[in-house]
Amino acid sequence: MLILKNLLRRRTRTLLSTLGIALGIAAIIAFNAVGRGFKESLDRYMRSTGAEVLVVNRSAMAPEYSRISKEEVDQVRALPGVEHLSAGTFTIISGRVLKKPKIKFLTVFGRVPGDRLIEKYKPGIDGRLLQADDEMILGSDAARDLELKTGDTLELLHHPLKVVGIYTSDVKFESAGCVVPSSMIQQEMKMGDSVGLFWLYLKPGSDWKAIRAAIEEKCPNLAAIQTSEFTAYYNQLDYIDWFVWIVSLISVVVGGLGVLNTMLMSVSERTREIGTLRAVGWSRGQVLRLILTEGMLISMVGGCLGVLIGTFGAETLIHWAPRGLDTRYSALLLTQGFLIAVALGFFGALYPAWQASRLSPIEALKYE
Amino acid sequence: MSELAIRTRDLVKRYDGAGITALAGVSIDVERGHYLCIMGPSGSGKSTLLNLVGALDVPTSGDVVLNGRSLATESNLDVVRAREIGFIFQLHNLIPTLTAVENVEIPMMAIGVPRRARKQRAVELLTEVGLSHRLDSVATRLSGGERQRVSIARALANRPSVILADEPTGDVDSRTGEQIMECIQAARKQCGATLVVVTHNPEISRGAERTLHMKDGLLQ
Repeated sequence: MLILKNLLRRRTRTLLSTLGIALGIAAIIAFNAVGRGFKESLDRYMRSTGAEVLVVNRSAMAPEYSRISKEEVDQVRALPGVEHLSAGTFTIISGRVLKKPKIKFLTVFGRVPGDRLIEKYKPGIDGRLLQADDEMILGSDAARDLELKTGDTLELLHHPLKVVGIYTSDVKFESAGCVVPSSMIQQEMKMGDSVGLFWLYLKPGSDWKAIRAAIEEKCPNLAAIQTSEFTAYYNQLDYIDWFVWIVSLISVVVGGLGVLNTMLMSVSERTREIGTLRAVGWSRGQVLRLILTEGMLISMVGGCLGVLIGTFGAETLIHWAPRGLDTRYSALLLTQGFLIAVALGFFGALYPAWQASRLSPIEALKYE
Repeated sequence: MSELAIRTRDLVKRYDGAGITALAGVSIDVERGHYLCIMGPSGSGKSTLLNLVGALDVPTSGDVVLNGRSLATESNLDVVRAREIGFIFQLHNLIPTLTAVENVEIPMMAIGVPRRARKQRAVELLTEVGLSHRLDSVATRLSGGERQRVSIARALANRPSVILADEPTGDVDSRTGEQIMECIQAARKQCGATLVVVTHNPEISRGAERTLHMKDGLLQ
């Protein structure tokens, strides 16, 4: 009774403090969910290719900047153990260039018509796969945003391309993208006969490590990555984690300071009452527990709210943000968010609680 | 000796920082069940004496013996305050957000009385002090006299052996003050507690078995 009434005494302050915690936890949940969602999308995409190995230029910061010469492609293709090589290019085109206000950017996957890598789009496609250099297939989200359907034409990189199929994908950035002939991107990006990257399908029983060693021996500027390890390999993705953790850290500090401030003010205002409690026999431990429980109650309510706001916020974020982002929640993430809130309440209230418990009853009763 | 509820010996309380000697060596004996009134002007040391007897403060030297137990050797003064002492303050010191019943429950929470028993006892005590119609009123909505009655009920909550009242009528008019003193006396008689009242109102001392006068930290 005492705890609840103490918290409700200054409703606005308690509410603001609770909201401070809630927004901190919401930021942690939302950014983690989006960050994890993006990484998992990449993993899903890599798995969906069915290839075992991805090869990129070692010095490329990201796949879109990777360049691999035709000679290197041919050398790798000739390696024993390689069953098939699917070359590809990749670029991102701004919505402004497309003059389509509904779309912020379009992810463009360059593929060789008829190649094995295109076959993965076959299930559920509305229309057919691209077979010629003046054709393209569109992801369902991109088709919706571009307001295109099968049979329509889209001018892309100065090339009119006929939409021959609309595919679906559970990878958001793929669903928000399109697949065009690789030659078109090579021409527009002035890549000559270089490709951006390629996937390797290995013969049964082949040792991927031996193939990697062979690739790196013959073509030292190439890096062979197991597709299942892609997100772990690409340390550029670590920036996502850093960003998420920096946001989380700031949120935690702000939330903790909010609880600290609230509880310090609360203890200061209630000094005489704490003196009364001590005068009628409450022990230091009981006073300590009272203040700690108040702080933790704020943080627990804030934590629950934060989990809800964070989940809702992440979904809102990816709804309004450029298409292609995805979210990934786990029971662990939500539990972590809640436990961080509880810890914030505990540590934020610890000092005020200790201060309150140290008050001498007689000094506290005299406090004006 | 065993009949003494309170015994103090050469109690001295000095505030070194301020250079003040609030008590300069006070020795009193109060028999169990008696009503002692301590009078004196402001700054005479009477409240300091009450705080030392009530284990709210510790003396610079000397000792307080409550029911045969020396406070100087007592390891847990919280328990002494919770179980042996009932305080009635001049300004009531009620928790403003709590109801009358909840305020009376506060000392019982200190010693772990179960919730239902706490509430039952609080209702009984408030009924005894004439507040059965104000049980669920928040402290801030009570009059000065009603608040002091709640404060009396709170002081009796844990059936203390000693009730200490510091200017219990200082914040109410004289008629309400008389009613409050009657209420305190009735409660004391019912539970057989020893009562020490500090005041500078001579009217208060009328029912006392003994009245002591203090000045400049000493008994007169």
